[in-house]
Amino acid sequence: MNADRFGIGWRPRLAAGILSHLDRLDVVEVIADDYFHAARDQRRALRTLAAQVPITLHGVSLGMASTVPVEAKRLGQMVRLCEEVKPTFWSEHLAFVRGGGIEIGHLAAPPRTEATIEGALANLARAKRIVGVAPQVENVATLIEPPGSDRDEAAWLSAIIRNSESDLLLDLHNLHANALNFGFDAPEFIARIPIERVATIHLAGGKWIGPQGTQRLLDDHLHDVPDPVYELLAAVAARAPQALTVILERDGNFPSIASLLAQVDRAREAVARGRADSRALLPAREEAA
Amino acid sequence: MSSSRLESFLATIYVDADARARFLADPRGEATRAGLAAPEIESVVNIDRVGLEMFAHSLNHKKAQKAHGHQTN
Repeated sequence: MNADRFGIGWRPRLAAGILSHLDRLDVVEVIADDYFHAARDQRRALRTLAAQVPITLHGVSLGMASTVPVEAKRLGQMVRLCEEVKPTFWSEHLAFVRGGGIEIGHLAAPPRTEATIEGALANLARAKRIVGVAPQVENVATLIEPPGSDRDEAAWLSAIIRNSESDLLLDLHNLHANALNFGFDAPEFIARIPIERVATIHLAGGKWIGPQGTQRLLDDHLHDVPDPVYELLAAVAARAPQALTVILERDGNFPSIASLLAQVDRAREAVARGRADSRALLPAREEAA
Repeated sequence: MSSSRLESFLATIYVDADARARFLADPRGEATRAGLAAPEIESVVNIDRVGLEMFAHSLNHKKAQKAHGHQTN
C-alpha cells in the first residue's frame, strides 16, 4: 500500500496558514540554508515545528553538480541542522552555484558531461559520508542551454541517479519549463529516467519572459501550478509504484492559504488518478507477462 | 569536456555584466584568455545568447528577492 505524502514549502509568510492547517499536510519542507546561521530562537522554533509535523530539509547552496568538491564546512552546517531537527530526509540540487570564488547566487545547470557526472558522484558520496545519509537530488530549471554539454538532461540525470545512492527529487515544473524552452518531450523524459528512484516531487509555477519569438518559461515559484504539471504528476504516479512525497513550492506573490491547500489537494487527486490508471493497466501487464 | 575552469568562466559571465559584455563582443578571445581548452572554447563561442541574457537578468531579480527575505530555490 502506498503512503504518499503531501506538503508545502515552509516560508515565514506562510507560517500562520501552515500551522493552522497541519491536519491537511503530511510533511513540510524547510530551506536548510535559512537556518545555517539562524539565531537560537529561530532554531528553537524550527525544532518546535519538527515536533508537530514531519519535516524535510532542502539545501540550495552546496553545489553538488560540480567538478569542484563541496566544502566540508558547508556539509558540516547540514550535519548540525540534521542532528537538531531530524528531518525525514534531506535534499539538494544538481547544480553548480559558484566557480573561481564567484558566487552565482542561484542554481546554474552545469555542462552535461562525464566530468560533471563524476564530480556530482564524488560530491554525493562525500555528502553521504559526512552527513551520514545521502541526499535526494533535484533536477534544476535552466534558462540557458548549459554550454559544453555533450548529452541531454535525461541521460545526464539518469547516470547520476543510477550510479549514486541518491534518490531523485523530481521537480515537475523544472522539467516542464526545460521541455518547453529547449524543445523536448516531458513524458518521454519521464519514461527515460529511473522512475523507481523517484522519491519526491516538487510542484511550482512560473511565467513567460522575454520578447515575442524568443520567450522562455521562467520557474519563478510566484505563480500557481499550471495544468500540464498536474498531468505530469499523474503520469509519474502511474509509473512509480513506490510512495511519493509531493511538495508545493511557493516563494512569493502569495495567494491565500486556502488557494495553496487547494493546489495540494489537486496534487493528491492527480496522484490518485495516476495510481488508478496504473491499476487499470495491471491486468494487461500480467497477461503480457 | 568541462572543467572547473569552465565553471569559473561561466560563473563570471553569468554574474558580471562587464565581463559578459566583453565576452559577447569577442567570445573566442575571452575564452582563450581564460585558459579554456579547445572544445570548451568552441562550446562557449556557440553559447545560447538568448538564454545567457535571460539567466543573467533572472540572477539580478533573485538577488533582489533575497535582499527582501530568505533563500529561494
